[in-house]
Amino acid sequence: MRKRICFLSLVFLFMVLTSEVFSQQEKLGWVGPVYKELSDSLMKGFKEYYKRTYNKEIAITFIRPGGWPVCVDKVRAWKGKPDADVFLGAGAPAFEVMDKEGLLIPYRPKDWDKIPSRWGGMKVKDERFIWTCFSPWIVTNLYNERVLKALQLPPPKTWNDLLNPIYRGYIVQTLPYASGTQHEVIEITLQSMGEKEGWAYQRYLAAQLERFSTGSVDTTHMVSRGEVPIGIAQPQMNAMSARADGYPVRDLLPDKTILVPESVGLLKGAPNEGNAKIFLDWLFSVEGQRYVLEGRYFPARTDIKFSEMEKQGVAMAKHAREALGVDSFWDLKVNFIEYDLNLATKRWDEVNRYYEYEIYRKWRELKSSLALIEEVEGEIATAKRRGTNVARAESRIKEARNLFAYDGDYAAARLAATEARQLLVTGR
Amino acid sequence: MQRGNLLISTVLWAVVALFIVYPLSFLLVESLKNAETQQYGLQNYIDFFKDPYYLKTFVNTLVLSLLVLLTTTLFGLPLAYMISRYRLKGKVIFTALILLPIVLPAYAGAFSLIILFGKMGVINLLLMDLGLVAKPINFLYGVHGLVFVQSIHLLPFIVLSLSAGFTNIDPSLEEASEVEGASGIKRFFTITLPLATPNYLAGAVLVFLWPFTDWLTPLIFGQTDYLPSISYINIAYHFTDMHRKYMGIVSVVVSAVICVSIFLLSKAWVERKKYTSLSKGTTLEGRIIYPPILIQIGSYLYMLFIAVLVLLIPVVLGLSAFSRRWVLQPFPTYWTLENFKLIFIETPGLLKNSLLFSGTALLFGIAFGLPAAYLITRTHTTGKEALDFIITLMLAFPGIALGVSYLLAFWEGIPLATHWIIMPLSLFVRRLPYFLRMAHASYLQLDISLEEAAEVSGASKLYTFFTISLPLLLKGLFVGVVMFFIMAFQEISTAIFLYRGGWETLPIGIYLNWHRGMEFGIAGAMAFFMIVIIFVLLLIVAKIGGGILGAAWGSSGGRY
Repeated sequence: MRKRICFLSLVFLFMVLTSEVFSQQEKLGWVGPVYKELSDSLMKGFKEYYKRTYNKEIAITFIRPGGWPVCVDKVRAWKGKPDADVFLGAGAPAFEVMDKEGLLIPYRPKDWDKIPSRWGGMKVKDERFIWTCFSPWIVTNLYNERVLKALQLPPPKTWNDLLNPIYRGYIVQTLPYASGTQHEVIEITLQSMGEKEGWAYQRYLAAQLERFSTGSVDTTHMVSRGEVPIGIAQPQMNAMSARADGYPVRDLLPDKTILVPESVGLLKGAPNEGNAKIFLDWLFSVEGQRYVLEGRYFPARTDIKFSEMEKQGVAMAKHAREALGVDSFWDLKVNFIEYDLNLATKRWDEVNRYYEYEIYRKWRELKSSLALIEEVEGEIATAKRRGTNVARAESRIKEARNLFAYDGDYAAARLAATEARQLLVTGR
Repeated sequence: MQRGNLLISTVLWAVVALFIVYPLSFLLVESLKNAETQQYGLQNYIDFFKDPYYLKTFVNTLVLSLLVLLTTTLFGLPLAYMISRYRLKGKVIFTALILLPIVLPAYAGAFSLIILFGKMGVINLLLMDLGLVAKPINFLYGVHGLVFVQSIHLLPFIVLSLSAGFTNIDPSLEEASEVEGASGIKRFFTITLPLATPNYLAGAVLVFLWPFTDWLTPLIFGQTDYLPSISYINIAYHFTDMHRKYMGIVSVVVSAVICVSIFLLSKAWVERKKYTSLSKGTTLEGRIIYPPILIQIGSYLYMLFIAVLVLLIPVVLGLSAFSRRWVLQPFPTYWTLENFKLIFIETPGLLKNSLLFSGTALLFGIAFGLPAAYLITRTHTTGKEALDFIITLMLAFPGIALGVSYLLAFWEGIPLATHWIIMPLSLFVRRLPYFLRMAHASYLQLDISLEEAAEVSGASKLYTFFTISLPLLLKGLFVGVVMFFIMAFQEISTAIFLYRGGWETLPIGIYLNWHRGMEFGIAGAMAFFMIVIIFVLLLIVAKIGGGILGAAWGSSGGRY
C-alpha cells in the first residue's frame, strides 16, 4: 500500500509539476461567497466569451473559503498580494469594510449606467466605483407550504405575525455573524421600529425559535426539508432556486424590508487586472447578466425583461418571473424602510455583539423567563375571571414584561413575575 | 550514539519549530494583543476566565466529551473483545465498516442523520404514517443527538486500540486465572481489562479531544453553548471586531492546553503501574477462543447491530446520491443518475488532489512520526515530553486556527503557501498525532532486547533499525497509516482556508456543492463516491494486512 501510494504520489507530482510549467495562459481569479450555480454559470459564460473575443483560452479559479466574513479574512491574510482578482458577491457592508482597509480599487464597468444608483432608499452601486451591484435581491423569509398546511397554519405575512404563539417552535434563523442577511434583518427591525422596540422584538422572536442554524443556506435546507417550516432572513433567490428544484417552499416579502445589492469589486494588487476588467465589463453586459440569471441570481440591469430572456431559452427566467410575479426585478413593489447604510456599517459589530451576548448566549434563560411570565399572566387572567382583585399583580406582571423586553434583565423579570404570582396568592 | 539522538532531536525540533511553533506563534501573539490599545498583555486571558459564559461552554463541552467517551467505551468494549478473542467470520470487513463514518467530513454525516432521524426524517415520517406517533419525536436536537452522532464517528478509535490491547495480552495470564477458577466476567475485569488500560488510553485521547474541535455538529443540531462553536464564531465571523477574534484564539489555546494536560496527566498516572509481562510469547492473533454457540450467535447479532448503525450514514448518502427531491417522504421516489453526471467532470481532479495531498502528507507523517516515536520511547533526550505535548496539542486545535496561522506565516516571508506543498504540509501537521500515537505504541510493543541483541552483535543503529525494528514494527504501523490517511483524506477546516484555485480536494468539493440549490443529492453523490473509494482502499489494505488490521492499531504489549 505504501509503495503504491509512493508511486501514485510520484506520478501525480510529475503531473502537477508539468502542468504548472505549461500553464502560461490567461488567468482570472474570483474569491467570494456566491453559490456554486452562479460561479459555474459565469465560468462557462465568460470562458466562451473570452474564447470568442480574444481567440484565447482563459483559466478561471474560484475560491470560497466560507461565508463572506471568512472571504474578507482571506483577502486580508493576502496582505495586498491577493491570490484572486475580483471579490464576487456579498452586500454593500462587506465592500465598505474592505474599502476602508484599502483592499479595493475603483473600476467603472462599461455598462455601469444600466444599473440604478439607488432604489427604495438603498445604494445599488458606489459612486466612486468601488463596488457595483450585479444582482439585487430583497431580504425575505421562507416557508414550507406543505408543512404549514399540514399544521393548519397560515403563512406569517408580517414581522409581527411571526410573534403569534401559533408559530412558536416552528421558526429557524441563524446568528447575525453567520449570515449578512440575518444581520440585515436585525438592522431592519432596529431601524424601522426604533432601537428599543427593535431589540424587544428580537427578544420575542428569539423565544419563538425552534433552533439556530449554521447559516442562511442551512436555514434554506431546513425549511425545504420541512425540518422547521419557517425560516427567517433568506436571500430572495433561494426560494426561486428551491422551487426550481421541486421543493414546496415560498418566499415571504415582509412588510418592512431592504434591498441587498450583491456586488463585485476589483481587488487591489490583482495579479490579472486586465482580465478582471474584461470580466467586469462582461458581467454587466446583457450576455453576462443572462449567465447571472442562469446561475439562479436575479440580473441587475434595468433593461432586462424575464419574458425576453425566456424567449431566448434561459430556463431560470420562467422561475424568476413566477417567483417574483413581475417581468423585471425593478418592477417589484416592496415596502422598503428608510435604511441608513452608514449607521448600519458603523454599528455592525456592536449589533452582532449585543445579539450574541444578550440573546444568543442567554437563549434558554430568555425562553424560560418568557414562559414564566406567560404562566403568571394566565393565572392572573383566571383569578380575574373569578372576581379576585388583581390590579397589583397585573401592574407587577407588566413590569416583568418590560424588564424582559426592554431591559433584557431576565432574572429581574422572573423575580417580578414571581412577585406578581405572590400578590395573587396573598389576595391583595 | 548520543550524537545520533541529538541529530534526530534537532531535525525533529526544527520541523516542529518551522511548521507548528512558527505559524502558531502568529496566533499566540495575537491572543496577547489588546484590541484597543494595541499593546500586549494577559488581559484577554483574564477576560476569558472572568466571563462565566466561556466557563459554561467549556464545561458543556467537557461533559459532552465524557459522555461520548463513556458511550463509545460501553459499546466498543464488548466489540473489541469479540474481535480480538473470538474466532468469528467477517472480522476484517467489519473493521473496515466501522471506519466508514469517520471518512466523511462531520457535516455530511450529521446531515445524513437529519435526513434519517430529523423531525421530517425517514423514521418520523414512517412512525407518523403508521399512526404510532402524532408529533415527530426529537431524536437528534439535543445533547443526546450530539452524543449519538459523535459516538458513531469515534467508535473505531476505541475498538481498534482496545482490541490491539487485548490481542497483546499474554494468553498465559488469562489461562492462569482460568485454572485458578476465576469466572469469565471476573477474569475480564481483574486481568484482561486492567492490562489493556494503556491501549485504551491511546484511543480514548482521540475520542476525548474530538468534541473540542468539532464546532459544526453542535451548530447543525441547533445546540448553542459549546466552546468549539463559540471559538469558531469568534475566529471566523468577526472581521472588524478584533477583540472577539483574539478571544476566539484565547479560548482555543486555553481549552487545548487544559485538555492535553488532562490527557498527559492521566497517561502519567496510568504509567505509574507496570503493564509489562516477562514473557514475550504472544502470537500475532493473541489468545483466541472458540466461543460457545450462544455467545457466538450473540456476538454476531451484536456486530450486526453495530454494522447497521454505522451503515446508516453511507446508506442515506447512497439513496440521496441516486435520487432527487427526497423530502417529506420516507423513501426517494424519483431516481436519477443526474447527480453523478453533474459531479462527473470535476470529481477526477478533486480525487487526484485528495490522493496527492493525503499521500504526500502520509510520507511526511511516516518520515517524521517514526523517528519521533523512537525519540520519545527509546531515548532520554531532554525535551521529548515537550515534543509529545506540542504534537498532541494539534488534536485539540481547530482546523480554522491552523489554516489562518498557516496563511499568515507562509504567504509572505516564507512563501510556501503559493505552492501546493502547503496542503500536504498542513494536513501532515494537523493529523500527525494520529500516526504518532500509533507509532509510539508500536515502538513500545517492540521489546528493546531484540534491538540490543543486534547491536551487541555489531550492527549499527541504522542497520538495526532497518533490519530488526522496522520489519517488526511494520505490521503495527499498518493501521496507523490507514488511520492517518483517512483523517488526512477527510480534512476540510484547514484545507478550505488554504486552497487556491485548482487545489480543491473531495471534501472541499462536497462543501462547495452543498451550496448548490437545495439538492442534497449532488453533494451526496460526491460523498458517496468518497466513501466507496475509501472502503475499497481499506479492503485492499486489509487484503495486504490480513488479520492485523484489527489487532495492531494504537497498541502496546508493554507500557503505554
